[in-house]
Amino acid sequence: MSTIQYLFDGFAVALQWHNLLFAFIGVVIGTAVGVLPGIGPMSGVALLIPVTATLTSGMPTDAAAASSIILLAGVYYGAMYGGSTTSILLNTPGESSSVVTALDGYQMAQKGRAGAALSIAAIGSFVAGIIALLGLVLLAKPLSNLALEFGPAEYFSLMLLGLCAVSGLAGKSMTKALMMTVFGLMLGTIGIDAVSGIARFTYDIPVLYGGLEFLTIAVGLFALGEVFKTILERDSGDAPIAKINRILPTKQDLKDSAKPITRGSLLGFFIGVLPGAGATLASFFSYMTEKKISKNPDSFGKGNIAGVAGPESANNAASGGAMIPLLTLGIPGSGTTAILMGALIMYNVQPGPLLFDDHPEIAWGLIASMFIGNLVLLILNMPLVRVFAKIIQTPKKYLLPIIITISFFGVYAVQYTTFDLYLLLACGVLGYLLSKNDYPVAPIVLALVLGPMIENNMRRALTISNGDWSIFVTSPLSLVFLIIAAAWIIVPLILKFTGKKVIVNEEE
Amino acid sequence: MKKQFMLCFVLTLSFVLAACGSNTSKTSGDGDSKSSYPESNIVMVAPSGAGGGWDLTARAVSKVMSETGLVDKAITVENRAGGGGAVFMAEFATKEANNDYMLMAKSPPILVNNLKAEGNSPYGYKDTKPLAQLTRDYGAIVVKADSPYNSLTEILDAIKEDPSSITLAGGSAPGSMDHLIGILPAFKYGIDPKTVKYVSYDGGGEAVAALLGGNADMIATDASAIGEYVKSGDVKVLAVSSTERLTGVLEDVPTFQELGIDAEFTIWRGIFGPKNMSDEAYEYWTKKLAEMVETDEWKTELERNGWASEYRDAEEFTAFLEEQEKVIGDLLKALDMHK
Repeated sequence: MSTIQYLFDGFAVALQWHNLLFAFIGVVIGTAVGVLPGIGPMSGVALLIPVTATLTSGMPTDAAAASSIILLAGVYYGAMYGGSTTSILLNTPGESSSVVTALDGYQMAQKGRAGAALSIAAIGSFVAGIIALLGLVLLAKPLSNLALEFGPAEYFSLMLLGLCAVSGLAGKSMTKALMMTVFGLMLGTIGIDAVSGIARFTYDIPVLYGGLEFLTIAVGLFALGEVFKTILERDSGDAPIAKINRILPTKQDLKDSAKPITRGSLLGFFIGVLPGAGATLASFFSYMTEKKISKNPDSFGKGNIAGVAGPESANNAASGGAMIPLLTLGIPGSGTTAILMGALIMYNVQPGPLLFDDHPEIAWGLIASMFIGNLVLLILNMPLVRVFAKIIQTPKKYLLPIIITISFFGVYAVQYTTFDLYLLLACGVLGYLLSKNDYPVAPIVLALVLGPMIENNMRRALTISNGDWSIFVTSPLSLVFLIIAAAWIIVPLILKFTGKKVIVNEEE
Repeated sequence: MKKQFMLCFVLTLSFVLAACGSNTSKTSGDGDSKSSYPESNIVMVAPSGAGGGWDLTARAVSKVMSETGLVDKAITVENRAGGGGAVFMAEFATKEANNDYMLMAKSPPILVNNLKAEGNSPYGYKDTKPLAQLTRDYGAIVVKADSPYNSLTEILDAIKEDPSSITLAGGSAPGSMDHLIGILPAFKYGIDPKTVKYVSYDGGGEAVAALLGGNADMIATDASAIGEYVKSGDVKVLAVSSTERLTGVLEDVPTFQELGIDAEFTIWRGIFGPKNMSDEAYEYWTKKLAEMVETDEWKTELERNGWASEYRDAEEFTAFLEEQEKVIGDLLKALDMHK
């Protein structure tokens, strides 16, 4: 009962006119931030901290903290809505969590279904946002304890499962997908090793100490690769531009998306709760789950709406889930939540076990404002779909320079180094060569993200167990993940071996 | 033909864009007219992502300077993350060495990164002009509330007996600050620091999570960050690395020295100028920073962030850095991690 009481108090805070305005501004800026590659939610939130501090300077501390966190959180989940737009339209992921959306979303756009893809992404994000919020309200405390149970061994097994599932991203050839996975893992070893502090493959070049930036690689492989391909293969872009048939998704689209959205939301929420796992991983897992359980896995990568609906729901749900460790434990699960935490601390509000007791109006005001913010986003995004979808009709000779500009601007805005611009170019050329020869590029990106996490957690776990490998099977959660991972690879092989007709990615 | 032309065009365009990036960063700075410094806006760099200690320090200084009107030009804060600060450090010491309009907020890693063998930053504090130390924080040794260990010496004895029984965790790589704070008392207690099991996490928050989840037996972290968990009763702090007892939540916590361990570690934060800063700019900033720490606005910032004030002027700060460099160097040598 008290929870509902608190929630109503929260709505009382969130429905004050200035807080409504803050939530609105936050989600609008967030959408813009999500659309532009490079300015991710992290830099978006960071840039706005001083602005909100000025805006709220006249208010009492607690009210000021509530208002600014409402705005900043709006930017955060607003970016999750907007992130899909450039992925779908331009094959340029705006955020790392939208990389997989590009796989099917861009194909849908190519077939003239950009409107459907964009709307389903917005609808999926809305549903996911609400589901994640319900989870946040009802399950915050037990889940935060569960998240703590996740030690290095459990993380290792979960990430390994993710890597085994990489087959879900394969194109025609599993072998080629595995080659790309290994290549991504190798790229992931560059930089200062977090466990031993030893610099690997850096050749004493400071710019390599931090490793290769994930976004640079992703934008290069996807967006620039596509640009080069268009130029070289379609001869200056007089190819017929796909007609946009309708903006709103059909009934069939909605029916096809309902289950992926639900699954993506739940999956994303639980992964979001785990500190360090994050929205990117959530969207990858969702995509691979959808492909795995689909009756028609061959259609993935060719414009299957489930490949948009699932991941887009998952990354939004993950941003809601990530609020749990932040608010209840004071442990930020991602870069963006770390900045949100910094913002709260600026107002002398310490997120952590005491937040809900010490500052209930801030915690519950934020939660209530997220309900409102999600609703605003849906209302805002649906008409915008019509506008955005027009972008696809821009002639290629204007569109390609725009994509190049956005890519370079975006990467420089994140990294501030010219090194990353050269890396971006190199990845663009590489992306073109790879996709021309049917090598899938998504496994590179996934392996680059997962590789260091798998390695670090494995070594942490082994340090804790004094080198005893049994730690991975004695922990029940870890064991479950390992069994699923093994099954993922082995079951299709066995079925194939026994002569059954199964859906696997056939070697060709 | 047309294809090749287009490709050339795109590649050229891309290179032009790439080149633009490298040329834009330094245009201001060489102003030579007297006593009119500063003529343009100033950039204060936090060589980390937003939200960390360097970032908060830079933002606090920028805010107080503009609120009090001490500096009439705007001070913008830029985040240049990478390599634990080493990436920007290289740029600051070379490309920006003459740029009077760029300052940097930094803390002990400026020494640690320069001294450690692995992931070494070739540039140290000597490649900058230290302007002032502003705040200090201390390290804390923390265990879970239901831990069987109730004092630092108990847990150190346990490590002495069987180093594999205790897992120490921290929020940074081995050889960096959290690790040093954690093994410093062990080292002074006569334990071979190389035998202490250290597990590094990405940031103090994850280290706390590992502690609460039972995946670490003790952690080393910033004293200012742990107060909230002490209040909620989730953890107990066994010792702090200060020379005198802290105030507030941690007032009952003994220092290393009280426990008979001759060790101390200060997490200071200060402001640095570029190596070849002009005398004019140098005098300007040393004066302004000295004035700033006296203002009420600065005191409010200190309180808001839970920082203890410790001001050292440029000269004292440089002497302090020299002394700290030796302390950290000795510890790294004991660990076999010195370059």
